[in-house]
Amino acid sequence: MAHITINQYLQQVLYEAIDNRDGAFCAQLLSFKHPHVANPRLQLQSPEEKCQQVLEPPYDEMVAAHLRCCFAVANHDFVEAYKFQTLVVQYPSAEQQLQRKGKGQPGEMLEKAAEQLMSCFRVCASDNRAGIDDSKKWGMMFLSNQLFKIYFKINKLPLCKPLIRAIDSSNLRTEFSPAQTVTYKYYVGRKAMFDSDFKPAEEYLSYSFDHCHRSSQKNKRMILIYLLPVKMLLGHMPTLQLLRKYDLMQFSDVTKGVREGNLLLLNEALSKHETFFIRCGIFLILEKLKIITYRNLFKKVYLLLQTHQLPLEAFLIALRMMKVEGVDLDEVQCILANLIYMGHIKGYISHQHQKLVVSKQNPFPALSTLT
Amino acid sequence: QSWRDRGYKQEGTLETPVEESVPKGTCQTMCPAIEMRQRQSQHRLHRYEILTGTEKDRQPRADPLRMVKEYARPAAGKDSTNPSELRPPDVLQKTVHYLIDEIATSQNLHPWTEVYGFVFDRLRAVKQDMIIQRLSGPCCVTILEQTVCFLVYASYRLCGEPLRLYDPKLNDMHVQENLRWLLDCYVSGSAPNDHQEEYEALNLLYNLCTKALQRVMQLPEGLRCTPDISLALSISHAYLERNPVRLLRLAKKLSFLQMCALHRHLTACRRDLLLIYSHGFSSRNCRFPLEKLSHLLDLDTCYTTQYCQLYGVEINLENTVIFTKNAF
Repeated sequence: MAHITINQYLQQVLYEAIDNRDGAFCAQLLSFKHPHVANPRLQLQSPEEKCQQVLEPPYDEMVAAHLRCCFAVANHDFVEAYKFQTLVVQYPSAEQQLQRKGKGQPGEMLEKAAEQLMSCFRVCASDNRAGIDDSKKWGMMFLSNQLFKIYFKINKLPLCKPLIRAIDSSNLRTEFSPAQTVTYKYYVGRKAMFDSDFKPAEEYLSYSFDHCHRSSQKNKRMILIYLLPVKMLLGHMPTLQLLRKYDLMQFSDVTKGVREGNLLLLNEALSKHETFFIRCGIFLILEKLKIITYRNLFKKVYLLLQTHQLPLEAFLIALRMMKVEGVDLDEVQCILANLIYMGHIKGYISHQHQKLVVSKQNPFPALSTLT
Repeated sequence: QSWRDRGYKQEGTLETPVEESVPKGTCQTMCPAIEMRQRQSQHRLHRYEILTGTEKDRQPRADPLRMVKEYARPAAGKDSTNPSELRPPDVLQKTVHYLIDEIATSQNLHPWTEVYGFVFDRLRAVKQDMIIQRLSGPCCVTILEQTVCFLVYASYRLCGEPLRLYDPKLNDMHVQENLRWLLDCYVSGSAPNDHQEEYEALNLLYNLCTKALQRVMQLPEGLRCTPDISLALSISHAYLERNPVRLLRLAKKLSFLQMCALHRHLTACRRDLLLIYSHGFSSRNCRFPLEKLSHLLDLDTCYTTQYCQLYGVEINLENTVIFTKNAF
């Protein structure tokens, strides 16, 4: 395969792939992940004539564009290569696998690649005539997953919305392959997380994690990076075992800090692994854990003092111990009022007596019971 | 065949050097001569553009030194790329200086809503010229900085005006567009810019959302630690943690322009404070001194009373506040 002549290559395309209706093989012959790309005998500057002799339209044009692309890549002319490969993709009957090449190009090409993918997506989504078995609609999820990947990279999350709507309203929604569904839910979950819709985010990401193939450890780890913060915000802390298994020890001190109400440890852990968290885009989500940490810290104060009328001074001392900058009694009251408002503490503050009066029953309701 | 043609055509457009197709302005005045003549004959001169002494004439004359190109929507069939009607960077710079120094900050022009209307429109035309000529670089940065300053200040000064004189939504749109472009210039510019921290902080305070925070997080460490940005960061964090007491306290350290940027969030922030206090201090026998509350809100007692009334928070005759969660 690596050193066949152009004629042999074209014969393969014609007889083995097209005449035998072998879509997968045809895709390979037009793919960029296949070794034939490196074959110097196929890298022709103007392969059009040869292709026309052997192949019928429209295949001659597709193959010719692909071969010119090989030529361009061999000459390290990636912009040119991108152009020709997109021609292959643009061709409406092209199989979905073909556009893989599009996204591999340098950053400035990403948006153009997204445009091409989007036009493929439209073709797939509007294929209403073909029977369900060979409908192009099956390509929708794959394409939208590729598009998600690009949109996350170029930070254009709002563009995901129409894709999600198209897939969710499709009657094939539950019929796509598990691998594609896992990827799809992973991205939809991440999007929900950035929109602060934590409940749905947890659902999507959990599904994705549970259904991800057990041998894909790397993917499971990627899912966990987003699932963990969401779970923590909803009051479920991960075990050390889990973190160790997936090499996510960056989260261990964060978890510990939140669980113990140790604001100091949490802040240290956040700044220590700042680069990692920022790169994953979860730093700000993790900062939201501070509110839960305040709750856990104040619960400790309550447990220590063993009374229902807690002097505000005690909370101030606790916060100062945690080196919270410039904190005073006014701020203590504000933090407490917020916790009460959010339902983390049942009780009220008395300004006259400078005390927090907590409910005799269950003054610190479990996080998972809150909505 | 048609498909192949399309392919080649695409190729053609890609290969033309970009510089050739970008129009370069040649107009050396703030307003192109043709527009000056047109607007004079159509009686469409602004009060600030009329030659002194001819105001009462049947046809007021244009003052070539004070005429500024007005904004015109791009429309079909209109050639907006004519070089003689586009101003090169140095003229644009001069125009912005004139608009800010002579008009916007003038002590003699009243009312300010009219000043705003004029400057807003003319700055919009400046931006349009910049876009058509695809300007970039230091000159572009300076113009955008001045535009942002003006718009942010206007958002504060005019926030109480009726809608027909000042549209906050439209103003906001322009602030965002200019800010985005400006910040992109900083990132893509080769040399570091002295003002970057100032405007990054301004962006953070003006937007106060996670998206702006996310952006600042990705800036280099050295920039993030500058006083302007770290104060703006603390304020955003206070906002994120829903700690209005801290936010209002930190806000007192801001400069005037920064305060203008933050100003549009303050009402929501004070409302938030009243909301969470209504829950936290909700008890029949508890009282909260009005004095204290107005101190926390950073308002005088008169305004505090108004705020409380607006949100249904009760104040009794002894000037103490009665928070109840059902009342809010």
